[in-house]
Amino acid sequence: MEAVLEQVEQLPALLAGASSALVRDWDSLTLDRALEWAQYFQHVHDRFRTRPRLREVLGRRLRRAQSNPPIGFPHLGRCPQLLGLALLENRALPPTACRCLLHRLLQLPGREAGPEPHSLALLARRKAASRLLALPSVPPRPPADVEPQLQAEAQLLLGRLREEGQEAEPAGESAGPPRWLSAVLEQLPMSRAFEVVAAALLEQGRGADRAGDWDLAGSSLEGNWASAVGDKCVAGPLLSWLLGNKERFSAFCLFLPGSLLASLAGYYSQLSRPYLDLLAGCGSHLLYDPLQGRWVVSCPDKAVLSWEQLRERFTCLCQGSDVLKGQTQAALKLLKAQDGDFQVCGLSVWADLLTEVEECLRKDAEY
Amino acid sequence: MAKDIPVPTLNFEYWLDKATEWGQATTLESQKDVCLHLPQLQKFLHEIYETLKHMDSIVAIQQFPLIGQLLGRLCWNPFVIGYDESQKTLMWCLCCLYSSEPQNPVELKANSWIRSLLCHLLSSSKWESNEAETSTFISTLGYTSADYYCHLVKNMVLSLVTELRRDQFNGLNIQGRVSASRVNAVSLFCLPLITLPDLTPLLETLLLYHGGASKEILSSEFLEAVNEAFLKKKISLPETAVFSLWLRHLPSLEKATLYLLDQLVSMQLNSLEEVACVMKDSLLPQAASHPAIFRIVNEIFKNALLETDGTPEVRTIIQVFTQLFLQAHQNENKQHKFPLKAYFPYHHQPLVTALLRRPFELPATRWSAHLKHISDMLKALIECLGQTDLQKIPSCPPVSWKTDTCIHTWFQLSHGDFLLLLSGRKSFLLFPLRLSSLLAASHFLYKLQFSAMSHMLIPEVCQTFLPLERDE
Repeated sequence: MEAVLEQVEQLPALLAGASSALVRDWDSLTLDRALEWAQYFQHVHDRFRTRPRLREVLGRRLRRAQSNPPIGFPHLGRCPQLLGLALLENRALPPTACRCLLHRLLQLPGREAGPEPHSLALLARRKAASRLLALPSVPPRPPADVEPQLQAEAQLLLGRLREEGQEAEPAGESAGPPRWLSAVLEQLPMSRAFEVVAAALLEQGRGADRAGDWDLAGSSLEGNWASAVGDKCVAGPLLSWLLGNKERFSAFCLFLPGSLLASLAGYYSQLSRPYLDLLAGCGSHLLYDPLQGRWVVSCPDKAVLSWEQLRERFTCLCQGSDVLKGQTQAALKLLKAQDGDFQVCGLSVWADLLTEVEECLRKDAEY
Repeated sequence: MAKDIPVPTLNFEYWLDKATEWGQATTLESQKDVCLHLPQLQKFLHEIYETLKHMDSIVAIQQFPLIGQLLGRLCWNPFVIGYDESQKTLMWCLCCLYSSEPQNPVELKANSWIRSLLCHLLSSSKWESNEAETSTFISTLGYTSADYYCHLVKNMVLSLVTELRRDQFNGLNIQGRVSASRVNAVSLFCLPLITLPDLTPLLETLLLYHGGASKEILSSEFLEAVNEAFLKKKISLPETAVFSLWLRHLPSLEKATLYLLDQLVSMQLNSLEEVACVMKDSLLPQAASHPAIFRIVNEIFKNALLETDGTPEVRTIIQVFTQLFLQAHQNENKQHKFPLKAYFPYHHQPLVTALLRRPFELPATRWSAHLKHISDMLKALIECLGQTDLQKIPSCPPVSWKTDTCIHTWFQLSHGDFLLLLSGRKSFLLFPLRLSSLLAASHFLYKLQFSAMSHMLIPEVCQTFLPLERDE
């Protein structure tokens, strides 16, 4: 076992080397050996995948390399693709080695068949498929649907979180988001990162709902139980990343549409309180303009919500689950009471909001 | 070292022109044109590869100067890359052109160009400019483009399926209607991807999609291609989807029937069970529970029988088909069954019902009465017809049956033409009603052991049979 651990330790170096200028000196033999190592690592992964303790040991050994983002057990499984594609794009690789690489990667007939095809032809085909399926002009998408590209990014993020969650000890919510998560999310522009995190949380929340339904039906499998436990490992880091930084959270809430935030607040109770507080903060910046007869923003340079936006958000919250609706209405009533509990319009933004929201809900109920 | 192989004439100019044309135009017509040429193009690429693999890369470029342009253009056409195995062959061709020991800047440049094409196809590093952020994100997460596109295609398929299904359920809500042209476009763009397993849910949804229009909205090229892939067993679809395909696209149904006939005739099948097995696999007997499908298939079989002058193979096929069809029909849920009238609209209903009664449904004592009833109906019908060219109507009553009788009934009902054979183990009755001089006379005696399935119903058998033996 120690021998295996020592070999596995070489993985980060191998991957790092493949993307560096070191490959300049590689010839076909070195390349062959590198690809064989990759196959071996995949084999190790497949053998130990179902043995949690051995998996943990291997994962810890890999983490010793301290690469950022950390390389874990699952990388062993993906090694052939990671290595192959990294070498393909590395311009420093000399032609002889490259030709050998192409023949191995694309499985040209004539060579002895590898243990498992890399399915790179499938990758090319799928990429073309994604172009073709996007070509017919898309009609406006209903808000409940997530754009496929965004969803794919979110699914990969969730996948990674799940993998990490299986290996690392759950450090508890006070520990904050893992460092690698912040580093990864920084790769995207802020707005995209928000969308991805929201999509990931939504998918996780919906999945948990569905798992719950299955449990009720009595057909819960072991997988469901494992995923229910794993949910905390997956959603937890994302939520702590969001809530950890006040500015980030406020930017997140202001950027995303009210309906999406309402769904998220419904799935995750940790979000509803801070979100309501944020909305309360926004509301306090509104002043009543008697000449125009409506509430206007008092300090336009700050990032706050307008009256209409605020109303829309509160309405969305009240259209959510009963718990969320109750929480929202209670919060509004409390704020109204703090303002003096007036019924006259124009004196308290909260009284007016409450009236309008209730009006909206009544109309919805009739329809 | 290049061997002395005769180089086949590869028509690069034609394909390069085509590729240029496709690259420039984005109209529906040009896209249909691509789809039509995909199989030939794949064959052509394969021929190129077979030629290239024996050649040195420098020699290859000298001999085929247009090859670079052609392969380059094809790599940017998603229809070509998405189709079947074209992407694999294309990449193999590129590999063959890569030189392991470049001697001059031109070769170096060619190498670099090949690598960038491959990187583009495999989205490894130089992801398109609008994907640059995605690519760093994915690779930081520790995944590759393979993982990303795997998820992306599944999501897109799911999104389209949801959109189409939601439209079906909307019913009268006109607002949600997906336009017919959009569905048509989706079906056309799916054409190269039919054999990609990720697409099966979308194929199924499209085949079962019924818009408001009375005309067919799915593109006929798509329907043909799906049928082709299904017949060659390259994809597997649920039965409902296959039946829907055949119901909405007549050429596909005809092709499927002819394909089955071809298969059965060319295979060396030794027993009825084998024939039945192949037939059940084709799903045609099950599909025939739709009367429209039954009538078309029936018609094709009848024509086959006519053209082959009633060879035993075709007769067997028709026999087994009808048997399987009846079996499927009996097994169907009683509520949704079509009445027999739907399958035999031109036939005399009481006679059809009587003939379809199976021996085990009647006690043995009632058999001769049953047969007499049938022959009486036939006689009445003959008299009604009053055809002048009727010949040789035996007027003898059915013979009495021996103990281990087997009943074997063949009849042909076709707008007044019919022929009935009732046979026992050693005796049989013949009622030819209209003899056509074009039909060859043939002798046959078909004996089958009594079993639940021995009651055979063969419509449209156009043959004259002469009695061989009679028994008292």
